[in-house]
Amino acid sequence: MLKTEISSIKLKTPLILASGILGTAGTSLKRIVTMGGAGAIVTKSLGISPRSGHKSPTIVKEEKGGLISAIGLANPGYENFKDEIEIAKQGGAPVIGSVYGFSFREYIEVAQGLEDYGVAAVELNLSYPNVGKTGAFYGKHKELSFEVVKAVKESVGIPVIAKLTANVSDIVTVAKSCEDAGCDAITAITALEAMKINVDTGRPVLGNKVGGLSGPCIKPIAVRCVYEIAKEVDVPVIGCGGATTGEDAVEFMMAGASAVQIGTGILTRGITIFKKVSKEMEEILKRGGYKNVGEIIGIAH
Amino acid sequence: MRVTRIKEIRKETERIKTYILEEKVDAIPGQFVMVWIPDVDEKPLSLSYHKGNMGITVLAQGPFTNKLAELRVGDKVGIRGPFGRGFKIVGDSLLLVGGGVGVPPLAALADEAIQNGKKVTAIVGAITKSELLFVDRLENIGVRVLTCTDDGTCGTKGFTTDVLRDILKKEKFDQCYTCGPEIMMLKVLYEAKKKGIPTQISMERYIKCGIGICGHCIVDGTGQRVCKEGPVFRDVDVEKISEFGKYHRDASGTKIYFRNRK
Ligand SMILES: Cc1cc2nc3c(=O)[nH]c(=O)nc-3n(C[C@H](O)[C@H](O)[C@H](O)COP(=O)(O)OP(=O)(O)OC[C@H]3O[C@@H](n4cnc5c(N)ncnc54)[C@H](O)[C@@H]3O)c2cc1C
Ligand SMILES: Cc1cc2nc3c(=O)[nH]c(=O)nc-3n(C[C@H](O)[C@H](O)[C@H](O)COP(=O)(O)O)c2cc1C
Ligand code: FES
Repeated sequence: MLKTEISSIKLKTPLILASGILGTAGTSLKRIVTMGGAGAIVTKSLGISPRSGHKSPTIVKEEKGGLISAIGLANPGYENFKDEIEIAKQGGAPVIGSVYGFSFREYIEVAQGLEDYGVAAVELNLSYPNVGKTGAFYGKHKELSFEVVKAVKESVGIPVIAKLTANVSDIVTVAKSCEDAGCDAITAITALEAMKINVDTGRPVLGNKVGGLSGPCIKPIAVRCVYEIAKEVDVPVIGCGGATTGEDAVEFMMAGASAVQIGTGILTRGITIFKKVSKEMEEILKRGGYKNVGEIIGIAH
Repeated sequence: MRVTRIKEIRKETERIKTYILEEKVDAIPGQFVMVWIPDVDEKPLSLSYHKGNMGITVLAQGPFTNKLAELRVGDKVGIRGPFGRGFKIVGDSLLLVGGGVGVPPLAALADEAIQNGKKVTAIVGAITKSELLFVDRLENIGVRVLTCTDDGTCGTKGFTTDVLRDILKKEKFDQCYTCGPEIMMLKVLYEAKKKGIPTQISMERYIKCGIGICGHCIVDGTGQRVCKEGPVFRDVDVEKISEFGKYHRDASGTKIYFRNRK
């Protein structure tokens, strides 16, 4: 009932682990599939060389249903991730490699490397909200997004997914540029730029001062973005941002998503959230008289 | 993030201080808190006092812990937690093996165990006499303490594992608990297992979020999170952690291999 497909990637359930959540080691990614029940997994965003990320605090809980995080793209570099991908694949679900770069050339090198290591697709992190100018740079300009996607698309044979930020005046034009550049799918959205100040000290809490807001509090924004993008582009859209329950996932799909990523939801529902949400989705689909999850994609339009 | 003030500072050894905070807790021995010094950093530290006013006992060894050592009574620090799984008291006769700055969570465990009427023996090791931690504190509550130092300035000359091997020849314990350098813990696990004594091990890995979401503290073999499923693991779990005693990951996630010191 939940079987679906994105580009050439086959999924047992449309629920995918979002990048950067428990994605720094192969054993963890494997466990999210075998124990957690994810349909696919996205690795931590990988760059050309190891990066320690920002100083802590890297995470602060926003009481109103979310997290603000500023890990700062900490990662061991793509070459150190070869074995991790090998282990992650043992879980039996597609492994999607998340790629970031500080130049077109870096994006290409990492994407090609990950293709060699056997990932099913690459997701381009065009928009990480808290790494100075560089991370957020590409995804904020439709021309640059176009160029990055095009450059990577011309360099690899596997599907290329563009992950977008909603911290732009018009996310739809960026999505369209990525489609024009040849991307195979679009993930929307990444964490929103945010900040937390501790009132007892008057100091910003995060080591990086600003971070990315994720979790239930951003879901309505993410659903709106998916709805608007799906209306204007033909490639599949992957919804991301605050999905925590079956109802959330169904809502994303009705807005036009072909699959849904889950990250912060793990905090409240544990790594078996994928199993739980799949079950809840099936119940909602049955209640609505649907035979297959594909039937609900975009019905809100 | 809650902000509290330092209530009291005690100098334990040349480089180790205990900080008693104004905030009160009711935690499980072995659990840790994330301690934030505004504008500096935030790091994981075990509770050395887990009931009433919380306490941490810290070795000054780098940018954060050195900064902590400069703070005074009344200064503010942020706290998240307590987090993670702590020690579980099993049986009546407990053996604690602590090396260096691994002693703080074991001291909290000793408090709890003695209160529950258990018999507690602790092997405490350090490089030299002046670096031995909590020997008086443990003795004062009725723990039998066996000390050892690398240089022989106090107790047995040698490692905690030497003392352990000796005592296991003569005595029986229901459960063993260890915290300290990983190579030491590996040997403790081995010695206790030979005698059929179950062991609980407190592991350290690079902690960032502390709440089980970022994945930086994951261990290979099981994919478990040290901040969530740990830091205390049972021997049966540790045996499945393929990286135990071999390597850990740094802030970037790159593997760092342990040097075989002890
Ligand atoms: C669960 C847990 C409990 C701990 N309990 C205590 C304790 O009771 N007393 C005590 O003195 N120390 C304890 N530590 C170690 C303490 O976190 C480090 O000493 C501290 O982070 C060092 O920071 P620094 O900036 O002073 O030194 P650095 O020079 O940055 O690091 C010194 C050492 O600490 C390690 N370290 C640095 N940052 C972290 C981090 N975020 N997470 C884990 N390790 C890190 C490094 O790998 C290095 O080996 C504990 C660690 C963990 C994981
Ligand atoms: C701790 C943490 C780390 C993250 N790291 C990355 C990352 O490396 N690359 C990326 O593209 N997104 C990263 N994200 C963003 C998530 O993939 C996701 O887009 C966002 O959290 C919204 O989804 P959620 O509400 O389901 O978590 C991270 C989010 C969190 C909370
Ligand atoms: S430190 Fe983030 S998962 Fe453990």
